[in-house]
Amino acid sequence: MRRLRSNPLVFLLVSLFTCFGLMFLSQSGILTPVEDLASIPLNVMSGFFNRIALSVSGGVTDLTELQNLRQRNAELEEALAQFQSELVELREIASDYNRLAELLDYTTSKANQEFVTADVISVDESNLLRTITINRGARDGISVGMPVVTGQGLVGRILNVSANASRVLLITSRDSAVSARLQSTRVEGSVQGQTAGNLRMTMIPLGQPLTVGDLVITSGLGGNFPPDVVIGIVTSARQFEFELFQEAEVSSLINFDTLEFVLVMTSFEPVDLSIFEQQTSETPGN
Amino acid sequence: MGNYLSIPILALAAVLQATFVPQIRLLGGGPDLVFLIVLAWSINIRLEGGVTWAFVGGVLQDLFSAAPTGTSAVGLIMIVFAVNQLARQVQRVGIILLLGLALFGTLFQQLMMIVLLALLGFNVDLIGDLSDVVLPTMLYNLVLILPVYWLIRRIQRRFATDSRFFV
Repeated sequence: MRRLRSNPLVFLLVSLFTCFGLMFLSQSGILTPVEDLASIPLNVMSGFFNRIALSVSGGVTDLTELQNLRQRNAELEEALAQFQSELVELREIASDYNRLAELLDYTTSKANQEFVTADVISVDESNLLRTITINRGARDGISVGMPVVTGQGLVGRILNVSANASRVLLITSRDSAVSARLQSTRVEGSVQGQTAGNLRMTMIPLGQPLTVGDLVITSGLGGNFPPDVVIGIVTSARQFEFELFQEAEVSSLINFDTLEFVLVMTSFEPVDLSIFEQQTSETPGN
Repeated sequence: MGNYLSIPILALAAVLQATFVPQIRLLGGGPDLVFLIVLAWSINIRLEGGVTWAFVGGVLQDLFSAAPTGTSAVGLIMIVFAVNQLARQVQRVGIILLLGLALFGTLFQQLMMIVLLALLGFNVDLIGDLSDVVLPTMLYNLVLILPVYWLIRRIQRRFATDSRFFV
């Protein structure tokens, strides 16, 4: 043995010969019982370590998955925010569509009238003067005095006109007075805006029946508005013994706080009666 | 004492090789722990001790594989002989030499396994094995040889009685 060790080359050859011998025995199956026996403790150990390895690997995989899930969650949240934004936009479009469809219905029912559709671009609803501004002006054929309506009824009339915008005096303004009549009884009066923003029908002759729920429409008298445009409905009526007329509270069907689109009746030209007033004042004896 | 240590240490290495290494495979290759330990042990030990570790390590490694027992030992024993001859020529094994031994030793061991498996009738894809198994294994072994060598040296200083330099 000592001689064998002293010569490395021989030692190498003997070692390799031993290995090849083992390989031959193993390949031929002779070593199988010994291999099986030797494998038993190794398999026990590997089973133990394999569980640890798998749990460590599972932990690492879970961490990776967690990272992926976080990234996925961020992507989904981003997508959700985008979809919510789109949903709001689509709801807005649907809402606009409904309003425009109502306006279209209205214009279709008024075939003899011409309308210009306008967006409300600002609202000045101070108690002093209730007005809105629309994005149509003289370039669109709009002039002072033209009635402004929606599918629910009368909004007001054009007060000022610029090239591409107009100011509309709402019927709820204190400065607004509209000749009106009750649709069912044809009783006439005047609908005036009140400080609180409500409407009141005045100048109703005594003795005329007033019923809550009656529809109030324009009469066309005075030439400022076309006849038969809805103003509102009667919500209450009162009559004082010492007064010559009775009054009725009228509620418009329009929510003036949420107006977005209006129609300007461009085919209606208000009648200017001021010329007759001047002639009357110039007549001798008056 | 050193030769007896080979069984628990290399058995543990072979078990870790069969359990943990598959979890960290790069392509088809992973660190060859048994090879690294045998290499690290043989650098500072007499030839007989190195051959014993190579033989035990090869046999234990083969018990976990489909290769006949002794297949892995052939390459390991040849590497131990080469390392022993090389170690006689140098006064001290530096890091560069250690890395070189790990790199070329891995290449030799893996090529030897491929050749032997081919001779034993196993299907071998030389190009695929080189790129997917041998190269990643070389990379892993290059990285791991330094910590393994450090650990083995500590064990040798404490337990080995047949060291060439630290008897």
